[in-house]
Amino acid sequence: MKRISIDPVTRLEGHGKIDIFLDEKGDVANAYFQIPELRGFEVFCVGRQAEDMPNLTDRICGVCPEAHHMAASKALDAVFHVEPPPAGKKLRELMYSIFFATDHTTHFYALGGPDFIVGPDAPAAERNILGVVAKVGMEVAGKVLKMRRDGHNLIQLMAGRRVQPNWGVPGGVSRGINEEQRREIELRGREAIDFALFSIQAFKDIVLGNKAYVDLIVGDIYTHKTYSMGMVDANNKVNFYDGKVRIVDPDGVELLKYSPNEYLDVIAEHVEPWTYLKFPYLKKVGWKGLVDGKDSGVYKATPLSRLNASDGMATPKAQAAYEEFFKTLGGKPVHHTLATHWARLVELLYATERWVELATDPEITSPNFRTLPTATPDEGVGIVEAPRGTLTHHYKTDSRGILTEVNLVVGTTNNYAPISMSVKKAAQGLIKKGVVNEGLLNMVEMAFRAYDPCFGCATHSLPGQMPLVVRLLAPDGEVIRQLTQNLDG
Amino acid sequence: MRTLVLGLGNPILRDDSVGLRVVRQVAAAVGAAADLDVSEDYHGGLRLMERLVGYDRAVIIDAIQSGAPPGSLIRLGVEDRPTQRSASTHDVNLPTALALGRQAGAHLPPPDQITIIAVEAQDVLSFGETLTPEVERAIPLATQAVLQLLGLEKESA
Repeated sequence: MKRISIDPVTRLEGHGKIDIFLDEKGDVANAYFQIPELRGFEVFCVGRQAEDMPNLTDRICGVCPEAHHMAASKALDAVFHVEPPPAGKKLRELMYSIFFATDHTTHFYALGGPDFIVGPDAPAAERNILGVVAKVGMEVAGKVLKMRRDGHNLIQLMAGRRVQPNWGVPGGVSRGINEEQRREIELRGREAIDFALFSIQAFKDIVLGNKAYVDLIVGDIYTHKTYSMGMVDANNKVNFYDGKVRIVDPDGVELLKYSPNEYLDVIAEHVEPWTYLKFPYLKKVGWKGLVDGKDSGVYKATPLSRLNASDGMATPKAQAAYEEFFKTLGGKPVHHTLATHWARLVELLYATERWVELATDPEITSPNFRTLPTATPDEGVGIVEAPRGTLTHHYKTDSRGILTEVNLVVGTTNNYAPISMSVKKAAQGLIKKGVVNEGLLNMVEMAFRAYDPCFGCATHSLPGQMPLVVRLLAPDGEVIRQLTQNLDG
Repeated sequence: MRTLVLGLGNPILRDDSVGLRVVRQVAAAVGAAADLDVSEDYHGGLRLMERLVGYDRAVIIDAIQSGAPPGSLIRLGVEDRPTQRSASTHDVNLPTALALGRQAGAHLPPPDQITIIAVEAQDVLSFGETLTPEVERAIPLATQAVLQLLGLEKESA
């Protein structure tokens, strides 16, 4: 068997990597996406106070520290057996909605948008946010930066600079907001809704108005009929902060719903003998390899899967966008990976609407934002939806609250198998009998960019434009060909 | 000339934190100065650009893995290869981020007024609050290099 490696960051130690295995005929047999794991996080945490986790875990990742902060805070509620008061939950969810809107904005305009708005065939040098600005209009640069600035400022206003140590605490948060702050949050939220609507309209005009782009989205190359995972509220509406995790099958039928403390009953990890990488899958269905279908336990945890796994959005404008999304793409569920970018915009709209809903909630300025824990701490699991997928934190402590065990399942880990499948399909379309189409690198890049895999959770920051190296290896491991892209070091 | 000295890094990821440790030394050496801010962050890309808004000059200290011996100091411009933290896979590289900021009318230091002092790191994949010995030893030199750039080098240092 030949092997092709796509190596995104060869110049940095501990790089992400894609291995493509060819069969004897030179066609694609399998593809695996790997990212390096940072060493020793559990050891680093064990022996520390559990209350340190929101601040320690938000240091894992420069991209979504707020997601780790929130999952850790919820895990601490469970460890200390304490329920935050309504205002505490609402403040957390408000800050989280602001974060979500900010993060989704960045991904769409800087990473997802360029492939579509500038065009998948445009030169790589133009496929960036500057290309998006050139196409959509100069004013969009200011809009995107304002959205980011407002988001960061409000998170700072609520939780201190970035996420201030000990904002998220067992039983709630360490400080609330006053009326003046609430008004500012509400005002910026209303502007954010307008921005989200503008973004959806731009997507519709530019992407959906272009048949070639629509064909690419709905084409077979980026389509996988897997299970879908996402957190939902009591009405099965998408929720990023709280609820149960719902899983629907490839036909959209509910398989199960689970509470955070049941995650080990639902999710297992498949180990391949040749890699340290573990592929999470649904225990109830079983591991059948990197294959589509109802008999395969592979699932996705992405903006797209969250829409599939829910019965709708809990806010009116986002609900309308949700309905239009499924109507346009042929009904529920949608399995086109590239539709994840559109799903992200539906979520952006929901996040901004929820932001205003919570900012205008009469309880949001209540001083009763924390319940002091009184029970003996032991064990707890906290789950939130991170922008990149379901995020699970699981801690065990001794009776003094000193950590004895830590386990994290990050968004990207959930998606190892589907990312590999997306890469495999792209490779299958572009590698025939050992001949590699030169478009491979870009198509593979588009496949995994839709997931926005979070290298940050597992390793340090990498260059903005993903450098790729594809190596073709003969069965004996000899490198017979090498292709590179965005590699300048 | 309003200047920002910014250390980049993850405080709990061994050598990746070297930029943060250097700016703490810089802060201690310069004390309070009217036109000089010394700060820490761990974001690259757009967030890094946003941190530079309002400044005329910036000195960024970060870890790098370029293949040089651990502890080596490498002086870079914004167009040079990215260091550990100066770019982000989740948005854009620093030159693109700066171009976007300028298009939006932000006041940013001109490219020749942004200097990156990179310290060659050995271990950026292990969690821990200690540096490897060679990188630890580079801190005074890197601090000195920053002070020199700022024109604040101590005579008897």
